[in-house]
Amino acid sequence: MEKISQKQLIEQIKQLKEIKPRREWAVLLKSQILSEEKQVAGVTAKSVGIGIMDAISLVFAQRKLAYAFTVVLFLIVGVFGFARYTVPGDLLFPIKKITEQSQAALTGQSGVQQDIVALSNRINDLAQVAKDGRTNSIPLAISEINANVSQLTKNLKDNPVSDQNTMKEISNSLKTLADVTGTDLSENQDIIDLYQTVVQSQIADLHKTTLSEDKIAILDEAKELYFLGRYFEALEKILLINQ
Amino acid sequence: MDCLNEQFSQIYDQYIDKIYRFVYLKVDSQETAEDITSKVFIRGWEAFKKDPSGIKNQGAFLYQVARNAVVDHYRDKGRAKTVSVDASGEIADPGTNAQDMAILSADVEVVKKSIQHLKKEHQDIIIWHYLEDMPIGQIAQLIGKPEGTIRVMLHRGLKDLKSIIQES
Repeated sequence: MEKISQKQLIEQIKQLKEIKPRREWAVLLKSQILSEEKQVAGVTAKSVGIGIMDAISLVFAQRKLAYAFTVVLFLIVGVFGFARYTVPGDLLFPIKKITEQSQAALTGQSGVQQDIVALSNRINDLAQVAKDGRTNSIPLAISEINANVSQLTKNLKDNPVSDQNTMKEISNSLKTLADVTGTDLSENQDIIDLYQTVVQSQIADLHKTTLSEDKIAILDEAKELYFLGRYFEALEKILLINQ
Repeated sequence: MDCLNEQFSQIYDQYIDKIYRFVYLKVDSQETAEDITSKVFIRGWEAFKKDPSGIKNQGAFLYQVARNAVVDHYRDKGRAKTVSVDASGEIADPGTNAQDMAILSADVEVVKKSIQHLKKEHQDIIIWHYLEDMPIGQIAQLIGKPEGTIRVMLHRGLKDLKSIIQES
């Protein structure tokens, strides 16, 4: 470099003022230092919020937008959490059903399995409604059960089930339903159809297997009950054979 | 605590550029400068929240922490900084901020590199006086030396810097 005067040198030194840190780094560092202190202060709930805020604000860049997003996020989580305790007739009940369907889909359950779980949940809803004495909600709860039973019956007809555990689950659900206080669904056609489908499927399945003489006799009784339309008793006989 | 946060937030905003620049000119690597500057402000914040009124001059305090942090950096790397003018570019980290390269002209880039070859105290005084517009009296207080000594050091620093630049 050619000779420079002291004045020129000082001017060049002053130009080094152009050196500045990256803005995003500076903002992030400040946020980290100050939010870290809030965590140390032991304000657990608040600190979790701040941590989430930092993560979200990194995505959104604007803190106000990040706050709005966090509020919406908490609202959604709150709504889904609260919906778990609703029964038919409640405002958030459809959300509960959507959540159950999503969970069933995520766990990879078959259509019949999903229907069985849903039926069990709806029976629990009916039991809860009956226990709380919410008479206005009982018809809605029964209507939900009918819809589930109808769906399950259709699925069983389309996809006959040979798994005895599945049949036991259905049988248990039907027994629970019969035990639910203050509800008499013995004349309900959807439920009768479900019993019929289950028994028919089981009898057809048992015909394909080799049975002892005792069990053949029980099967004959079950068939007789089936033809008499006494499906519940027929199912109990079949369960005896499968024990 | 929110009040302390607010106060330190203002201190941070006031000094982040200055401390980063001060550190960067000594290490010449964006990553290292960011790392050391982070440590400076974390230590600053820890000291501030322990005794907010105990730090009379926040700027002086942060510069002092920054000076020590840079020394620690070179010590940790096993590259104790040689104060000789002959120490050449080995002192500086290899990385260079591409953004700064684009902003600074070639001549100023030479000045920047040359500053790193000055004695540590000369570096500090030149940066504080010419880049941060710090008066001689304040620098004297900061490093605990008479104003006359600071003027002499500043003069010698500039002279050394000029020599380094012309040799380059």
